[in-house]
Parts: sequence; structure tokens; C-alpha cells
Amino acid sequence: MLSFLQVLSSGIAIGCVYGLVALSFVLVFKATETVSFMQGDLLMLGGFAGLALHLAAGWPLALAAVGAVLAVALLGAGLERVALRRAIGQPHLVAVLLTFGLGMMIRGGVASVPAAAQDMYRLPFAADTLGIGPLVLAASHVWVVLATVVLVLLLALFFRHTRAGLALRACSEDARVAALMGVPVARMHTLAWALGAGLAAVAGLLLAPITFVHLNMGFIALKAFPAAVLGGLTSLPGALAGGLFLGVVEALAGLVLPEGAKDVVPYVLLMAALLLFPQGLAAGRAGGGGR
Amino acid sequence: MSATPVAAPEGLRVLRAAFVWGLLLALAVGWLGADFAFSQATLVATYAIAGLGVVIIVGQAGQIVLGQGALVALGAYAQTLLVQAGVAPLLALPLAATVGALGGVLASLPAGRLGGLYFGMSTLAFALIVEEALVRWESLTHGAAGLMVPGFGLAGWQADTPLAQAAVSIVVLLIALALAARLLRSRLGRAWRAVREDEAAADACGIAPGAAKLRAFIVGGSLSALGGSLYAHWIGFISPEQFGLVFSFELLMLAFIGGARRLSGAVWGALVVVAIPQAIAVLRDTLPGDWARSAGLELVLFGATIVAVVLLRPQGLASGPRSG
Repeated sequence: MLSFLQVLSSGIAIGCVYGLVALSFVLVFKATETVSFMQGDLLMLGGFAGLALHLAAGWPLALAAVGAVLAVALLGAGLERVALRRAIGQPHLVAVLLTFGLGMMIRGGVASVPAAAQDMYRLPFAADTLGIGPLVLAASHVWVVLATVVLVLLLALFFRHTRAGLALRACSEDARVAALMGVPVARMHTLAWALGAGLAAVAGLLLAPITFVHLNMGFIALKAFPAAVLGGLTSLPGALAGGLFLGVVEALAGLVLPEGAKDVVPYVLLMAALLLFPQGLAAGRAGGGGR
Repeated sequence: MSATPVAAPEGLRVLRAAFVWGLLLALAVGWLGADFAFSQATLVATYAIAGLGVVIIVGQAGQIVLGQGALVALGAYAQTLLVQAGVAPLLALPLAATVGALGGVLASLPAGRLGGLYFGMSTLAFALIVEEALVRWESLTHGAAGLMVPGFGLAGWQADTPLAQAAVSIVVLLIALALAARLLRSRLGRAWRAVREDEAAADACGIAPGAAKLRAFIVGGSLSALGGSLYAHWIGFISPEQFGLVFSFELLMLAFIGGARRLSGAVWGALVVVAIPQAIAVLRDTLPGDWARSAGLELVLFGATIVAVVLLRPQGLASGPRSG
């Protein structure tokens, strides 16, 4: 029972990371119809940027994290202005190739920094643990869950109560009508990319204490696809729930199934979800609720 | 001459293409030396065969496929295992292509329920599952350690010189091109184009979109697997990671650069995709400093090529010159 709870807690923590990446993916997809294959690279960049500001530039950890998220968000907005907006209105494949290429450039850019290419890094509090009775939780897992909850609350407030958030939602529902109502659609696309990139960077910083910061940490974003699809690909709460579900199922599969089978679970789930519930698990209930 | 008015320009086109490519090859031999030129020609032809599969599925039938690398991998592994078991390589080629066709059938199963992007996602899942299976099924595939591939030979003759390998690849490529061109002119080719342009309209005209897509994957899968089986012979070693997501995107880029509307697009795209790493190698030697020697440069330049092509020619897949 105790080991079950331990596994469950790590599954929830990693599920939060999946959920955040899926959230960033869905945010961009809903607002701009762009399928982003660079979320993993933005995540990796976020991790490295935080690390560089903390270790190399000597900023305090919290400030470095905020700086890294802002920098990656700015990069996302910049890329939208320069390149990504050309993919709007084109077939999906154009955006897929474009974001994949940009992702490669980001990965290559980080790889050509010698210090980044050679080592794996951990953040200082990575090894701390919290004891609750007999249960021992990794501090990093608790951090991830807390940060996700706060972030999601902030996002919910932003989408419900701010002008920009409402405009972004309107733009996601129907860009043409939103434009007619005076929403600056192009600026909303930039905002969506900034948010999407920033969220990916946050996921990278949260992932940093759980795994290491290394060049290939972005591969985790491949598992955010199943999470996003499980949530229906256009639902923000769905993406988060899909990520949590995936993290927990994957962790439990590691407990029950033979070694190695765990890694296939997300993709088998993706296939099953696409075949059985093409509209997402909550499709019957939500009916296009666009939060 | 009993050529019909339609066939005559076709024949002329083939002649012109043969002239252009012959000239290119001759130039390459003169400039780069025979062995290097032929080994690069081998790679171009092999990539082109695998790329033809993408051209058929993406350019002709209009389906998004994000996991073509898995079909190439199936061909490469089938060929290697068959040849290791003692089957003659030439005999194993059609068998490997059949395995690819079966893989294509599997990959296209979700097409009945999903369209467009969602279907593309399912091919991605398919590819990731195949890659994971190749890593985990160690008794058969030796997992991530990979397999050594015996050379390509026929009744005592071994294709071990660059010239022989180039000849084999080019012959197979020509056969594949001829078969594909024949298919595109058939009822099936028209059905693919109809499905690509408007699925509902095609359906209303009595074309079953599901069947057309399934056949596109059978043809595309077997072509890609054929390319994979030759690739395995030429490289001499295969492992699952060679055929991962990056390779799938390389094939997509190949079709995108060359133009997926025409079969010849696969060959032009293959030329560019094979040339990029070579150009990068040259650049690396000429650029000063340590920065140029880092592994990151290759990624950056490869990514920049994709981005540049997509930005400069976004219509590469969508509305290229229509001479299908």
C-alpha cells in the first residue's frame, strides 16, 4: 500500500508536467490552429535558461526561474512574429514542419554551448524529501504539484477575468467573429505563442529537479501529445486532466507490467483514445466548452 | 510509332529526365571522384525510393503521415532478418516490401474513424510503438544494440563496390518510379487525387475514401519498406534509433522540398536531403574556431533548412504545379 502511494505521488507529479506541456500545446493549437512540435525544445530551453541564470549568472533561484520563463515567452512571441504567423491558414503539415525545424534550431543552439552539451545538471533541492508519517515524498514532487495548482489558478483567472484572456478565448472560438468584435487577432496569436512558450518553460523548470537538465529532456513532450488528445485537443482543462491521467497510468503500469512496457503505455493509450474517443474523453459531457 | 498523343510528351519527359540525371551523375563523377559520386548516388536513389512512399501518401492521397520512418524500419528489419536466415537478398526484397505494406495497413486502420490532423497523430503513435517494439523485442532485433546486415548479392556476385550499389539502387528506383507512374494514371490514382481534393465530393462520386487511403498506405508502405531494405544493405548496420521521429521528418521534408505533387519530387528532394549533411561537413572544415566543430551546428543548419524551405515555399505540398 505504501509503495502504491509512493508510485502514485510520483505519477501525479510527472503527470502535472505532462499536463502543463499539453496545456501549452493546446493553448497554441486552439488560438492559432498551429500544431507545435517544438514544445519539447522550448521546455528544454526553459530548463537550461533557468540553470544558466542561476549557476552562471549567479541569480537567486526564484529570480532565475522567472527570468527564464519570461525569456522563453519572449522568444515564443518573437518566433510568432517572424516565422510562425506565416503558417496560419496553411495545411497542418506546414506548421508541423516549421515548428519541428525551429525546434531543431533551438536544440542545436543549446547543443553548441559546450557546457550544456557535456553535462547533466540537477537543481540544489532535488534530493530533499518530506516525511508525512511513514510516507516519504520527494520535495521536488510536492513542488511540482503546488506550482501546477497555482499556475492553473492564475491561468483560470486570466482567462475569465482579464480583457486579454477573454479576447484570447474569443479568438480561439472564432477568429473571424472576434476580429469583427474588435479583437486584435494577430496580437492575440503572438500572445498565445508567448503563453505557450512560457508554459513549456515552466514545465521544464519543474521537471528539472525530477529528472536532470539535459539536451534530450524535451522528448517528454512526445508524451504530452497523448495527454492533449486524451483531453480532446481543444480543451485546456482536458489537457491538464489528460496529463495527470497519463502520468498516473504510466506510473502504475511501471508497478504492474514487466520492465520496459511502461514506455509504450502513453502511445498505446494515444492510439486507443484516437480510435475510441476521437473527441476526447470528456466529449459527451463538455460539448465544446471552451475554457 | 503507335504512340498516342498523350504518351508522346510522356516519353519525351522521361528522356529529358534521363538526360538531366545522367548529366548530373557525370558531373558528380568528374567533380567528386567516381567512388564518392556513386556512393552518394546510391544514397540519393535509396532515399528517393523511401520518399516515393511519402509522395504517394501525402502528395497524392493527401493524408498527413508523421511516422513514415516506422515503415522504412519495418522494411529494413524484415530484409535483414530474412537475409540472415538465408533468403537470397533479391528474393527478400519483395518480401520486405510486403511487410511494409502490412505495416501500412496497420498504420492506416484509424483512417476509417479519423481525418486530417487526428489521423496524423495516430501515425505518430504507430511509429513510436513500432520503434519501442524494435527496441524491446531483443530476441529478434537485438534491441538498441542493432543488427549487422550482410551485403547485397546475387548468385555469387556481390554488390560491394560503389558502382554496383549505385546500379542496383537506380534500377530499383526506376522500377518503383515506373510502377508508381502507372498507378497514378490508373483509376486508383484518380481516386487518390479526388480524395485529396475533397473527401466528401469523392465519396459522392462513388469513390470509397477509406479504401483509397488504405491502398495509398499499402503502396506507400511497400515503397518505403523497399527503400529501407536497400538502405540496410548499403549502411551495413541498423538500429531502431536510425528510423526515429527525426527520420520521419526528414522524409516529410524530402517530399516537401521536391514537391509532393509529382513523383520526380521524391528524387529532387532526396538529392537535397543527402546533400545537406555533405554541405555541412564542408562548411565545418572551412569555418574557423571550435564552435563550428560542435554537434549543434548540424542540427541548427538542418533545422534552418527546413524553416527556410517552409517559409519560402509554403505551397510545396499544398498547391505545387499540377502535372500529376
